[in-house]
Amino acid sequence: MDATKKAPKVKKDSKDKIKVEFEGQLSAWERFRLKVFSMYFVKNVLVRICTYILLVGVSYIIIYPFISKLASSIMCREDFVDVTVMLISKNPTLDTYKAIIVDNRYFEAMLNTALLSGSCALIQMFVTCLIGYGFAKFRFRGNGFLFLFVIVTMVVPHSTLHLAMFMKFRYFDVFGIIKFLGGGVFEAVKILPFTEIDFTNGYVPFILLSITGLGFKNGLYIFLFRQFFRGVPDELEESAYIDGAGTFRTFVQIILPLSVSMLVTVFMFAFSWQWTDKYYTGVFFTSVTKAPYTLRDIIKIPRSLDTDYAGGNMYAAAINNTCGIMIIAPLIFIYCFAQKQLVQGIERSGITG
Amino acid sequence: MNAEAKKPNKIKVDSAPKKKKKIASLEKKKARVGYLFVLPFIIGLVIIYLPMIFQSINYSFHQIEQIRGGGGIRLIPVGFDNYREALFDDPSYVQTLLAGIGRILFDVPAIVIFSLFMAILLNQDMAGRGLFRAIFFIPVIISTGLISDIDAGNILMQNAGSSIDTGTGTNSVAQIVDVMDVEMLFSNMKVGSELVTYVVGLVNDIFNIVNRSGVQMLIFLAGLQSISPAIYESCEIDGATGWETFWKITFPMISPMILVNAIYSVIDALTRSDNVVMSYIEGVYNKPDGPTLTSAMSWIYFLIVFLLIALVSAVISAYVFYQRRDT
Repeated sequence: MDATKKAPKVKKDSKDKIKVEFEGQLSAWERFRLKVFSMYFVKNVLVRICTYILLVGVSYIIIYPFISKLASSIMCREDFVDVTVMLISKNPTLDTYKAIIVDNRYFEAMLNTALLSGSCALIQMFVTCLIGYGFAKFRFRGNGFLFLFVIVTMVVPHSTLHLAMFMKFRYFDVFGIIKFLGGGVFEAVKILPFTEIDFTNGYVPFILLSITGLGFKNGLYIFLFRQFFRGVPDELEESAYIDGAGTFRTFVQIILPLSVSMLVTVFMFAFSWQWTDKYYTGVFFTSVTKAPYTLRDIIKIPRSLDTDYAGGNMYAAAINNTCGIMIIAPLIFIYCFAQKQLVQGIERSGITG
Repeated sequence: MNAEAKKPNKIKVDSAPKKKKKIASLEKKKARVGYLFVLPFIIGLVIIYLPMIFQSINYSFHQIEQIRGGGGIRLIPVGFDNYREALFDDPSYVQTLLAGIGRILFDVPAIVIFSLFMAILLNQDMAGRGLFRAIFFIPVIISTGLISDIDAGNILMQNAGSSIDTGTGTNSVAQIVDVMDVEMLFSNMKVGSELVTYVVGLVNDIFNIVNRSGVQMLIFLAGLQSISPAIYESCEIDGATGWETFWKITFPMISPMILVNAIYSVIDALTRSDNVVMSYIEGVYNKPDGPTLTSAMSWIYFLIVFLLIALVSAVISAYVFYQRRDT
């Protein structure tokens, strides 16, 4: 009799929850009192509060600039000379946005940049994935030595290669082959009508650099992929080999589906860093008229806005900030969808140095 | 495919030692496929990257002369003139270089410690973790290139004095913590004045540090996630406090990531475009004779960068704890 009384009663048995009630348990108030008036609980609450204060504080530091930029972007011209205006405009207006869209041809620039960043990011994602897989899973001769070069591409400052990179693509040639075919040894026989190819002011340099894994920060992506694939157990591939799949089939059918979150992460990085890149565009887009009109060109004062007055400096800064907001707006939009994958991708990479 | 499939057949297998040989050749074959995977990089390296490196070194020993009409250029060898000009004639290059490197020694420890701290906070189980993570990683994708350029412009604007905050974050920090307060706090605590200036500098620079520690935070988070919860559980059972657990478990386990992050932070700090040395060099590029001088300057800079990274990795890897894993 006693045994049955002391045994817990199963009160509710739903799909994945079981509520168990014990005999002779304390009242709700007793339980509450025991829980709350203990050092353990108080300490936990205090730690939690401190954590939240810190996190909110740092989040505030990150977000505040955006708030103030947004606030100043809808200010009208007079607000900048008005001392009483701090953050909230007296007569909000969208004139700045309109002017940037119309005068600075925002949508044209955005389309061009989207085309450039999108294609670069896609290519870079696949190419660095391939390269990273090669470095991680195959012990070919010179693996470590080649990887050293990946590190070198990360470490060499951009400015070191500024001129060389421009010259490389301004007079593009592979070991003098094109020059040889175009006007080389035999004067009579010219296979090509030109001696070098001018790739500047176009998308070709970006594509070429992306295909060869030399694009913006590609060393980092290769590194990330290498670490990620090192964490993938070899047994997976071995079982695929035993089932008769070749290396590439294994890669496409087994490895790629595993690494979706990592792919999204790298795509996100590649896309957004190419989106706001000013270095490569600065090297290759030298001509104002011939180069594609990209987002870096919209950072200027629109013609229809007059900044020649007392608050001119402030107004100009606000306009520039508005340009910045409009540049990153599409990125924020994409980030909202991709951020979960982004964090997951990194977390599962199992980077271990 | 056929040719590859036939190859192993050539080595006839009929005895045990030869069988061993066959396995080795399969391994080799697999290794050869590895070359195919990294082929794009090899091609890029040989056709584009290495020639560019050599070209750039070459430029640093030459001066460029424009040929009129044709628009071509001619290189005049000048020996070490560019290097001499950069190091001795240029009034501000060496100063900028020293300032830039000092800045890095100042920033990198702060970034690494901050991002480790934040990653530990974000790794806890709590409500709104997803939201905080989303906010913390915004700078990773946004505060680069063009945007940091615009912000740099704003900082100049703010020195002129303004009532409306144009959104660079420097004002906001000043509103949160008054630097004077920090100084008071520390002088009451009787610590060295160097530490005071360091911390005050960090507080002033918090916006910058937060913005630059996004990737590092991600890497630390990944590391923290890979530590088995069972270890923490056993610590708790043995009665270890949180403080002890951090220094005895978390810190050693995460030390490889500290190495990676320190190196990444150094590289990032040295090569990002709002770095003083980088912007100085970019500025020189547009002067007459600039391009070749830039090459020389950047190669000097690269050498220092390389030495610094070697130093950092040597120092930290002496303290790194590697968990033994069966691979």
